[in-house]
Amino acid sequence: MEYKRRDFLRILGSGALLALPLRGAERPVRVRLLEGGAYEAFTGKVEMGQGARTLLTQAVAEELGVPVKQVRLIMGDTAIVPDDGGTWASLTTPETVPAVRTETAAIAGHPITDPARWKVLGTPVAPLHGPEAVTGALRYCSDVRVEGMLHGRIVRPDAYRAKLERFDDSEARALAGVQIVREGDVLGVVARDPHTAARAAGLIRAEWRAEPLPPVDSLGEQFRAKAVAPVEVKDTRYPPLIRAGDVEAGLASARRTLSQSYWAPPIGHVPLEPRAAVAEWHDGALTVYCGKTAPFLVRAELARSLGIPESKVRVRISMPGGAFGSKQRGECELEAAILARAAQAPVRLAWTREEEFRIAYARPAGLVDIESGVDSEGRLVAWRFRNYNAGAPGLRPPYELPHMSNEFWRSDSPFRQGSYRALAATLNNFARESHIDEWAHLLRRDPLDFRLAHIGDARLKETLQRAAERFGWGKRKPGQGVGFGLACNIEKGARLALFVETEGQGPGLRVRRMVAAGDFGAALNPDNLRNQIEGAMIQGIGGALWERLQFDSRTQLTRRLSQYRVPRFRDVPDMAVEIIDRRDVPAAGAGESPITLPAPAIANALFSATGERRRSLPMAI
Amino acid sequence: MASASAMCAMEIELNINGQNRRLDVAPGVTLLEALRDYAGLTGTKYGCGEGQCGACTVLIDGRAARSCILSAASRAGRKIVTIEGLAAGQALHPVQQAFLDHAAFQCGFCTPGMILGAVALLNQDPNPTASRIREELQGHICRCGAYPRIVDAVRAAASEKAAASERKVSRRG
Repeated sequence: MEYKRRDFLRILGSGALLALPLRGAERPVRVRLLEGGAYEAFTGKVEMGQGARTLLTQAVAEELGVPVKQVRLIMGDTAIVPDDGGTWASLTTPETVPAVRTETAAIAGHPITDPARWKVLGTPVAPLHGPEAVTGALRYCSDVRVEGMLHGRIVRPDAYRAKLERFDDSEARALAGVQIVREGDVLGVVARDPHTAARAAGLIRAEWRAEPLPPVDSLGEQFRAKAVAPVEVKDTRYPPLIRAGDVEAGLASARRTLSQSYWAPPIGHVPLEPRAAVAEWHDGALTVYCGKTAPFLVRAELARSLGIPESKVRVRISMPGGAFGSKQRGECELEAAILARAAQAPVRLAWTREEEFRIAYARPAGLVDIESGVDSEGRLVAWRFRNYNAGAPGLRPPYELPHMSNEFWRSDSPFRQGSYRALAATLNNFARESHIDEWAHLLRRDPLDFRLAHIGDARLKETLQRAAERFGWGKRKPGQGVGFGLACNIEKGARLALFVETEGQGPGLRVRRMVAAGDFGAALNPDNLRNQIEGAMIQGIGGALWERLQFDSRTQLTRRLSQYRVPRFRDVPDMAVEIIDRRDVPAAGAGESPITLPAPAIANALFSATGERRRSLPMAI
Repeated sequence: MASASAMCAMEIELNINGQNRRLDVAPGVTLLEALRDYAGLTGTKYGCGEGQCGACTVLIDGRAARSCILSAASRAGRKIVTIEGLAAGQALHPVQQAFLDHAAFQCGFCTPGMILGAVALLNQDPNPTASRIREELQGHICRCGAYPRIVDAVRAAASEKAAASERKVSRRG
């Protein structure tokens, strides 16, 4: 059964309902008309608080020429939605919105709507999940319950990495209704309620052979020693090598050079909702309810790990209570599936906060070495930037540098590491924007003027000038503990400038004021954009000032929220955010860019106040 | 499934959102577990299990309490209000409405606890300053960083409540 997408409205308009998905040449349905005149739309993207549901609903409504409330968006159910890729890398705005608009406009039989004529896009539609969020009706992945469901718990070693040698489960077995599951490296229990599952897991005496961990302080050296040089790769989202001119010759002929290293430790995402999944088997087919942000990737991972075809796995997403890059893989889901298969019943597995801290992957630690040089006029002419282990995002400088080599050297870490909001862009911006600031001070130049002198991009210049004016840059002298600093970048097409005022140093360092100006192209939903910018900048304060995971030679010490400081109400500075809305320019995503600038802006402000240059995160310890 | 773990279940009675509920729970469950796993009220959230994040906040006799560190059995006879019981029918509580009006959330996972924390504050201080709000809600974490909007929402709810009670007074007068 094959239909052209253009036929949908006509066919469905006549009252027929199609079974979804349509297999074969056509992709799954994007939009369909329901009886009564409402529409259902489908996407593989996931809402995690960043506003994807609202934004994509706006996109559909715009092209159908109907109000938002007439469109119901189905997200992240692999059986019925198109695979729009993972919800990551700030791609929903620049890629999925245009794709959805194009497909919807084609279905509606017209070219995509000119931005000048937008009625729904470009307006501050309130978050569509709001009414359910404020009444407690919003169902997150940890709230999913299915008929006949049992509860699982995994037995974890105390060591960070360990092999199970033997275990004694006699006491746990004595509890009513408890089943013990051992499959490969997974040792767990299933019980009729979560309290009993936790108790049973605690009664299992397991012996583990622990692997030692190196000191975190020695990681940087390890990264350098084990690093592999990058090669040029074209057509990749994150090129690991970005070059211009001849950096060695540039450094050799520079009038003056500067060489510095910058460091960021592993940090946790700490989404407020820990991972949770419900796995249900039926005739060899698996359905998993979870809160991951890459449903099709999780489906592939589960199929591969369980040795079944992808067609036998359905991943259904309930909204995650925060993700920030943490919820892209299927580790909790696989454990739930293994427990459910053994128990022959649906099993819910909800990780504890401690598991979320210590079993989940973390943001990679990273080291950056920069060697740079200026000519006799004080212009930066040579720039060699090497990131070890953290990653390639954010490697490209916004500055005009005739001889440069920006390199990501892959390395090897003993810690579980993975995606994180903006990933390496935070360390790369911390390093680059700190280093630029160091040059400005060495050359006795104003840090704003020095940047502007090296920037060709007019839009970035404008964000800097607008934010500087609003901040009152240069109007007050730093000192007596109060510092002023700035940072700017172009990340994934977004131009952002941030100015901060700090006070204190060491553990007393805090941010008093933040002023930002951002140019994200067309502001598709201006209020949501503002919410994203403010929230990401606040989140960035945590990584800048306090956050780090701590380890000893065998285990992770950071296990509880009381041991890990994240930003709270009293840490929030006065904030002003100016958005430069360019309706004629394609929109850039805003989920990541604003988290990358607080660290360098704060470091630069601290230096202006105290002369102390912090090249290692976090700074307030 | 009703007789699950019958050997070790215990019955407790809790007053939740104005109703007396008899629940067969595992001994030693927290109030949070009783609400989520036995009473079916999942609007109250687990975030940390040590009273550090505020996601599990409920009202007990009008005051904010961290349900993840309280035993369920010891709360028998007290008036417990969860997020599901805050609205009066279809009419949202002014704090809920203010959170909506200010889009004072992103993922919304902290929102139920945050709203109940704010309601408890307004019960004590009908017109708190921004700095009092920050102080009182310091024990609530919003990882998405919607803090400035939350402060604005609570201030707006306070003015709305004040205006509403003035209207009442003037009607009476």
